[in-house]
Amino acid sequence: MKLLSSMRRQRSLLNCAPISARQLADHPMRSAMSRADNSIEFVDQQNFDRAVARLVRLIPIPAESAEWFSEKDLVPTTKRTWRDTLRNPAVLAISIAVAVIAGVFVFNFISHLNDFPGSATARKLLGIAASTRPVMLDPVNAEAGKLSDLFFMKHGLEHYDVPDEFADLDTIGCRVFEDDESRRIAQIWVSEKRMQFFLFPAERDSKTGSVLRFPGWRHVHQEGWTGAVTEHNGVCFMAAVRGGDKELAPYLSQPAGK
Amino acid sequence: MRELFRGPSRVPERKQNLPQLYRFCFLMLGDSRKAQEIFHATLREAAVRAARGELPDEPFWLFRDARWRCLEATKNDLQPESVKMDECDVAREAESQIERLDPMQLAIWISTAPDPQRSALALFYLDEFDYREILDITDLKLSELSRLLAKGRRQLQAWLDSKFPQPNKV
Repeated sequence: MKLLSSMRRQRSLLNCAPISARQLADHPMRSAMSRADNSIEFVDQQNFDRAVARLVRLIPIPAESAEWFSEKDLVPTTKRTWRDTLRNPAVLAISIAVAVIAGVFVFNFISHLNDFPGSATARKLLGIAASTRPVMLDPVNAEAGKLSDLFFMKHGLEHYDVPDEFADLDTIGCRVFEDDESRRIAQIWVSEKRMQFFLFPAERDSKTGSVLRFPGWRHVHQEGWTGAVTEHNGVCFMAAVRGGDKELAPYLSQPAGK
Repeated sequence: MRELFRGPSRVPERKQNLPQLYRFCFLMLGDSRKAQEIFHATLREAAVRAARGELPDEPFWLFRDARWRCLEATKNDLQPESVKMDECDVAREAESQIERLDPMQLAIWISTAPDPQRSALALFYLDEFDYREILDITDLKLSELSRLLAKGRRQLQAWLDSKFPQPNKV
């Protein structure tokens, strides 16, 4: 009984089978057609239907009726203005997103505009400077410029020299530690303006191993601290102080060797 | 214009194809002048409704509307006698027989069929709608549509045989 009903439905579907592939057939229709694909009766029916459909397409359209097919609208549609377009929530959302992305891009571009080899390390060290307390350092009572020998003799650190601009400042304490990349960093605390100095290895070219040099003093900023960095003999020196560039300006402008 | 008549139902443009709408009217009426009248009346009404923002939110409404106008227009015309028409199995040579027909002859033949067979044949041979869409427009069941199309084919084949007799069948 069920089989009979299924066959009847299949026959019904075949009688309504699409004439051309333009008409998308649903699953039952596709399955009925695939079963009847080789049947002569179905092939004849399809040829018959296609011939009739071809004839129907030859029906001419009178000129008066063809006027209706023009693209012009009977009802004037209001033209969308720029203001309407801008008020569209999708356009608005996309505009805001593009503005934010552009803002982030510009911020990143500007903040990296003054980058130099070692600037990333210098910024990290500014963070360390902000969190360092004097008790964490070994007390030393000497001029900063005289600590080069201490670093060399005690820690084997060559060329860890304080530049002449800061060499005369009195030291409160110093220490040598390793950062997260196992680089040995010398930190000096001086009494003036509670300034801190850092000496760390300059960045090297990953392929050739040569030191990436840069001329003069470069500034970095992090969490309200400012650092002035220079490179000499493969070692970078940074003077760090809380505040802006102007806190370090008097030292950097004075002639070296004062 | 096409955009206008697509309406809020967002029926694909293919389904509100205006040249096909005219052909549908022509097949339903078998008369070019009457077909144009119904076609224009349907579109004028649609334009007025569009202007008022009252386009129906249903698919194929243009064809549905045109169909009822065609049936209304022929209500008072001479009706075909309810005689049993000859029927024949679809022949392999049918294709060549149909090629010898004029579109007008086919339209007249379809327009003389009683409804809903007339609507079913006109919509089916437009090759514009699949069977589910035809069922939607004509409010028929699948078995009814199937019967009407199968019968239409057999009757058209018998008419073709009488019009263009095949030598091997004589």
